[in-house]
Amino acid sequence: MTYLLSSLVNGLVFGLLLFMVSAGLTLIFGMMGVLNFAHSSLYMLGAYLGYSIGRWTGFWPALLFAPLVVALIGAFIERFMLRRVHRHGHAQELLLTFGLALIIHEVVKLFYGPYPVEYAVPAELAQTAFSANGLNFPLYRLFIGAVAVSMFVCLFLLMKFTRVGLTVRAALSQPQMVEALGHNVGLVFLFVFAVGAGLAGLAGAVAGAFYPTGPNMADDLGSIVFVVVVVGGLGSLEGALIASLAIGLLTTLTVGLDWTLAGALAPVGLSEWASSIGGPFTITLSSLTGSLPFIIMLLVLLIRPAGLMGERA
Amino acid sequence: MTLLDRRDVLKLAGAAAAAMAGPALAQSNPALKIASVETLSGPGSTVNRLWSLGLKYCVDKINAEGGWNGQKLVYAEYDTEGTTGGASQKTQAAIADGAHIIIHGGSSAIGGQISEDIRKWNLRNPTAKVLFFGPGIEALELTGAKCHYHFFRFATNADIRVRALIAGMKAENALGKKVFSINQNYSWGQDIQAALEKGAPENDFVLVDKVLHDVNKIQDFSPYVARIAASGADTVFTGNWGNDLSLLLKAVQAAGLKVKFATTFLDLPGALSSAGTAALGYYHAEMWNPQAYGAFGQELWTDYKAKMGTVPSTSEAKSVLCLLILQKALKTIPATGKIEVDVIAKALENTTYDAPTGKVTIRPADHQLAWPIVVSKVEQGAKFPFDGTDMGFVPLKIIPAEEAVNAVQASCKMQRPA
Repeated sequence: MTYLLSSLVNGLVFGLLLFMVSAGLTLIFGMMGVLNFAHSSLYMLGAYLGYSIGRWTGFWPALLFAPLVVALIGAFIERFMLRRVHRHGHAQELLLTFGLALIIHEVVKLFYGPYPVEYAVPAELAQTAFSANGLNFPLYRLFIGAVAVSMFVCLFLLMKFTRVGLTVRAALSQPQMVEALGHNVGLVFLFVFAVGAGLAGLAGAVAGAFYPTGPNMADDLGSIVFVVVVVGGLGSLEGALIASLAIGLLTTLTVGLDWTLAGALAPVGLSEWASSIGGPFTITLSSLTGSLPFIIMLLVLLIRPAGLMGERA
Repeated sequence: MTLLDRRDVLKLAGAAAAAMAGPALAQSNPALKIASVETLSGPGSTVNRLWSLGLKYCVDKINAEGGWNGQKLVYAEYDTEGTTGGASQKTQAAIADGAHIIIHGGSSAIGGQISEDIRKWNLRNPTAKVLFFGPGIEALELTGAKCHYHFFRFATNADIRVRALIAGMKAENALGKKVFSINQNYSWGQDIQAALEKGAPENDFVLVDKVLHDVNKIQDFSPYVARIAASGADTVFTGNWGNDLSLLLKAVQAAGLKVKFATTFLDLPGALSSAGTAALGYYHAEMWNPQAYGAFGQELWTDYKAKMGTVPSTSEAKSVLCLLILQKALKTIPATGKIEVDVIAKALENTTYDAPTGKVTIRPADHQLAWPIVVSKVEQGAKFPFDGTDMGFVPLKIIPAEEAVNAVQASCKMQRPA
């Protein structure tokens, strides 16, 4: 029972972390139609900047400054890079962000070396929230969850109930019309990209202290964040939240399940026959945990190509 | 003077020089060429480059002592780019460049490809055979079903590591009755799990739970930590390396789980610093340990740092030891006008290397090295601190080579040259 409980909380927190990174990605895609390959690199930059700034100012100010710096970098990328290649079409934008991801990876290795850096959780958060069954539940995990939840609430309110959100949503579906009405769509794009980048930076600065901050963290999270965005529906904030939580919970809960196909055949009496054949019949569900998100993505793409909450296919 | 005249003069001069150098040339023998085929670019490169660095250092050292066959050893590096296809290409390139010995330490998957390529090459080209050394590739099948006369495993394997850890921890009364196995789901991790299943009845412990997980895909190991806690295990065995080890240990540290770990790659860069103080009291089994190697370890540590700029990691040290054994074998071979790798292979089989931890031999039946294994424990303030921390591996027990090495696998049917 305690195992189930701690797994549930673990899954929720991991899902919320996924949401923090994928929120920016899905916003940028919804707005600009650009699948930003460098998004998880911005997450990594957030972690490294949080670490570097934190050495001067301490943890809390770094948590504020690191996302701001990443947002500025994001604004720079949009204004001076993406905007230039925008008229050549999406393929060029995609290639540009792909190149950026490679460059950021190498630059980070150049400055910080190939191994993880010592980015530590501050003392006031390095405590135990509660203990169950001899396992401590770190307070910092709850902190990650709290940051993600407040981020979602702020974003949701901003998008639904403010003039800014109205303009952004309008520019999302009808950019030409919004421009004709006198809004500066270019500025809206810049704003969205910077905010998206800043959110990834915030996620990095928060999560980097808990998970190792190393040059591989972008690659590690990159593919799974794409899965979240695709499953949730490209451009949908709510979809990203649902998909993040689902994937977080699923990957956490299946760790404890040693189900096999051979076991599933037991009611019809074929269990021993299947076990003797081996191969795919004896693969346990727990050994597939890392691949499950990708299997789900495949299913979603086949059954509902627009994703859970997406509008465009 | 016309151009033609000048050429004639040059020709004459050349002929004269050749005539003078003639007797010397007849005596000069070919140099032994060593090729490091390693993953030097891409994601795996930071760890895999270490093998090449160690080889380079040791080749320079052997050359400073005069090389072999009246020549300096020739060393070259080839980049597999992290794929088996790249490894095949670069193995061919190395053979085309005249390599006599090819060395790969990084990955059992890539090493397995190179080993097969070389086996086929040697079958088809009996006059230009090459040898393959594996200072770090530990999947059992390489000295099992895939063994061949021209491959030498200068490393341990899953069986050796698990048996050494069990023996060392039992001697310290640290093993406990309940053991948990968490490993990566490919040949190496499966081998570790199988070795534990085999060892359980003989050593009076119960494998309470076992789990195999995807390689380098898991971001959050806390559910696995919960599963370990739920099993009530005393000791957790893991063959994990790299990110999978760092993330697992970070999750263990965060959960404050009080359990001993028995590890195989905790001494590589990035692992101890991730684990932090949670690693104190963890057990480790490996053929190399700078403290157990005494004066030899100290000298390698300081000399390597002076020449290469960093202290040697375990991978670099294993590369060095691999070439030192080769050097010892080469000393028994008289100078020759044509290098025959079968002669070198024979000499290696007959070589006994005196490591500070005991005698090292190469088993002719499957070319697995029998090496004394050092079982160590992570402690603070160790003589040789690792990975930028103040922790290091303090040796507890040295298991002699003949006890440590596993039995020859029945699947190995080695064809020996006539």
